[in-house]
Amino acid sequence: MFRAFLRTPSGVIGLAVIGLLVVVMIVAPILWSAPATDVNVAAGGAGPSAAHWLGTDQLGRDILLRVLVATRFTIVLALIAAGIGALLGVLTGSTAALLPRRARSVALRAIDAMLAFPGILVAIFIGTIIGPGATGATIGVAIAVSFSFARISSTLAMSAGGRDYVAAGRVLGIRPFRLLVRHVLPNIADTLVITTTVVIGTAVVDLSSLSFLGLGVQPPDFDWGQMLTEGVQVIYTQPWAAVGPAVAIAITAVAFGLTGEALARNMNPVLWTQSRHAAPRVSARQARRAAVVAAADSVADTSPDVVLDVRDLVVEFPGRDSSVRVLDGVSFQLRKGEFLGIVGESGSGKSLTALAIAQLVPFPGEVSGTVRLDGQDIGALSRRDREAMLGTDLAFVFQDPLSSLNPALRIRTQLTESIRYHRRVGRRSADETAVGRLGDVSIPAPDATLRRHPHELSGGMRQRVMIAKGLMKNPVLLFADEPTTALDVTIQSQIMALLESFNADDGMSLVFISHNLALVSENCARVLVMYAGRIVEDLTTEQLLAAPLHPYTTALLHASPDITAPRTRELTSIPGQVPDFAAMPPGCPYHPRCPLAVARCRVELPPLAERSDGRRVACWVANQDLGPVEEVTRDGSQAPAH
Amino acid sequence: MATLLNVSLESRPPGGRRRGGLTASLGSPWVAFALRRLLSLIVILFVLVNVSFLLVRLIPGDPAVLVAGLDASPQQLVTVRHELGLDQSWPAQLLHYWAGLFHGDLGSSFVSGQPVSQIIGERSGASLELAASALVLVLLLSIPIGMIAGALTREGRHRRFDVVVSGTTSVVGAIPEYLTGTFLALVFAVVLNVLPVAGADGWQSLVLPTLAVALRPTAVLIRIVRVETHNVLAMDYVRTARSERLPARIVYLRHALPNILTATLTIGGILFAGIVGGAVVVENVFARTGLGTTLVDGVTGRDYLVVQGVILVLGVTVVVVNTVVDVLLSIVDPRSLSREA
Repeated sequence: MFRAFLRTPSGVIGLAVIGLLVVVMIVAPILWSAPATDVNVAAGGAGPSAAHWLGTDQLGRDILLRVLVATRFTIVLALIAAGIGALLGVLTGSTAALLPRRARSVALRAIDAMLAFPGILVAIFIGTIIGPGATGATIGVAIAVSFSFARISSTLAMSAGGRDYVAAGRVLGIRPFRLLVRHVLPNIADTLVITTTVVIGTAVVDLSSLSFLGLGVQPPDFDWGQMLTEGVQVIYTQPWAAVGPAVAIAITAVAFGLTGEALARNMNPVLWTQSRHAAPRVSARQARRAAVVAAADSVADTSPDVVLDVRDLVVEFPGRDSSVRVLDGVSFQLRKGEFLGIVGESGSGKSLTALAIAQLVPFPGEVSGTVRLDGQDIGALSRRDREAMLGTDLAFVFQDPLSSLNPALRIRTQLTESIRYHRRVGRRSADETAVGRLGDVSIPAPDATLRRHPHELSGGMRQRVMIAKGLMKNPVLLFADEPTTALDVTIQSQIMALLESFNADDGMSLVFISHNLALVSENCARVLVMYAGRIVEDLTTEQLLAAPLHPYTTALLHASPDITAPRTRELTSIPGQVPDFAAMPPGCPYHPRCPLAVARCRVELPPLAERSDGRRVACWVANQDLGPVEEVTRDGSQAPAH
Repeated sequence: MATLLNVSLESRPPGGRRRGGLTASLGSPWVAFALRRLLSLIVILFVLVNVSFLLVRLIPGDPAVLVAGLDASPQQLVTVRHELGLDQSWPAQLLHYWAGLFHGDLGSSFVSGQPVSQIIGERSGASLELAASALVLVLLLSIPIGMIAGALTREGRHRRFDVVVSGTTSVVGAIPEYLTGTFLALVFAVVLNVLPVAGADGWQSLVLPTLAVALRPTAVLIRIVRVETHNVLAMDYVRTARSERLPARIVYLRHALPNILTATLTIGGILFAGIVGGAVVVENVFARTGLGTTLVDGVTGRDYLVVQGVILVLGVTVVVVNTVVDVLLSIVDPRSLSREA
């Protein structure tokens, strides 16, 4: 973790500055205490010179030396404030979290309220009671910052893990304080370190604000805040006097802030998107393997009724040193009116294939390969034509309608905006189409539904709205990603019948993406089986049900206990796991889980070879009857399988 | 003190507020929500008043001596004690304090003898003006800037620009308001001589204080809007809009903006608190006679009843504004109701 931290430039800078501050804190008061406090009124108010780099103050003291000497006092006060604040906050926050339900609710609300209370008022309040000075200011700031700590520790202590520990501890009869020390604190320690780091920086600023109001450090003691205040008082005549302390305060606050942020980023990378795409290198072997598949996968000639022709589709995510291929040489064709199923476990690349075709792969993913839609190479079109074509010909029914529908917009807007923009349909007739489509997907009261927001609908309703949205523009090709998972059996078959009718009337093609082999085989004539970003078998439904050739397809089939059952559970019964793209095994990616694996499977990637019955299989064992399948060379000159 | 913002804002969990004790059994979720908010407002006000009551009582030593001065005669001390109600038992004093509050009686200043409520009434206008104009400026600047920065740097694009934005905002966010104020006064009032350096008359005298108050919260809010923009643009529904090939204008303004705004509104209350805190400090820089200067004069002059009154009034304002923001949010974003219930 620490090495990762050192790779964050802002963290390194922050930490370096903090290190420097620590050195100054220790050294400066020893070396320069005397010159920093020696009064020499005659030399007062001088500007910067060789002897006094930042000039002198009213009493002739060197401002630079005073800034350096004041480092210790300033930072010690900030440390004390942050420390006391953290202690108080953690105590109140964790105690609140451990209270019985009703009391806890009141306590948490009180913490929330205090959090939204101007900190300076709290500090002034405390300062008034204790009296102006370093003590009052420090305790004031400590109490003001303690509410952040209280909030964080209560939230963390109550978060899933914490609550389980606490509940378990309660059952075991552990006393609250012991519970706090033994079970809650270790779980929130890293977050507390981050927060404390940030708070030290802000405490420096806050203490200086109190000094400005006359409530902070009082002369003859001096910290940066008090120096800055003195400088500000004479700023119209000696503007340089404020520069030193101001810069010191800003640098310190920023250094602690940057360090805290860098710590947070490294301790909890999920929350920080920047580091999400860091991935290890792809080996030369993997690259070669990719080239092999790419060449072997390419399918020849395009007939006129081909709606979608995908060749050598590759998606790569750049990593730190090299990139990770998450979609690897996918090639297939889809004829007009064809229903094609894509199956595979999660992470197999089935959804990504659809996104890559529509150029919706999230940044920084890079897509290569050729996609022809209605015979048009969409990569060759101008940006405007491409957008128009993708916007009218393709439609999506995304997985998870709750997150795929915009929570802030009415159903009406979300259904009609596409045809209103792309087809210039008027509001009235767009609304009519929308009502019709909602009726098609069996939504009662379509008119009223148009006025609703997604959160007002049930899960099944949202899913049907999503499907209606996909059908709004009579697309040439519809990608449906798990379109019916949240629906009951009756609605499910209604929806499938509806898709069939669009198919019969307008010749709409469908790419049906699902992990549910039963559903796919019921509705699609042809199935692509994907594994680890590649097509491993391309076969008709009859072939699938009769005798799949790839051992992975066989495993999938066996994982659906009853192929005729309308809904099966998630495929969990295939032993082993989908390999991590960053650590792909050599050879066939399925071999670690494959019962039939032979020596060759461990070293050499099987190409997707076309067989005489039209199906394509990527498996050394399955293709043994084809005779020796030769590896294709990198330049693409293909040694086809026979 | 507004940097307290930094921490508290980021520590807010993504789900927003947490559920209360009162359940939604009261029919409409909105009614339940409003009741719960009202209840918590009352609880908080109750606590606030009691805490402010403690101010004078917690001061070490005899408050009467502090109030009347060390050279006060015993006769004066008796008067002061009586006036403060310190000759009564604590419960009686608290009751007396509450009774006074209901009549708008916050006691009288020991310096000027003027009723505290009258002082606050006279001076709150200038403070309100400053806080309101700063709030408007903060929103006008930070929402577009944060959104543009967020859109440009989404999913790790334009890393360098992202570094510049977060660097600049964290530096600006670390500059205390009084320093910004003094610097602005130096440049625009003293060197350029285009705006008044102090006072509270005319819009010209409002410009520099507004800038001084607004700068730090603006930097903080830009960071938040930027992160929210990143979050919203990574949402599935934005991918849905992109899959429809809608133009950028519709994707950003119709699909992203409302969601960014509701997320930003969630922290609106804390933002307002930061602005009130900043205004208290900046009034002192520009010698604007308002609640901030009154408060600080009260502290340095040991005019405790004035301090007590001003803190109470500012605190109540912040708490009430927070509640209003919550209710507004529930109207703008009905999901916050279902989150809550």
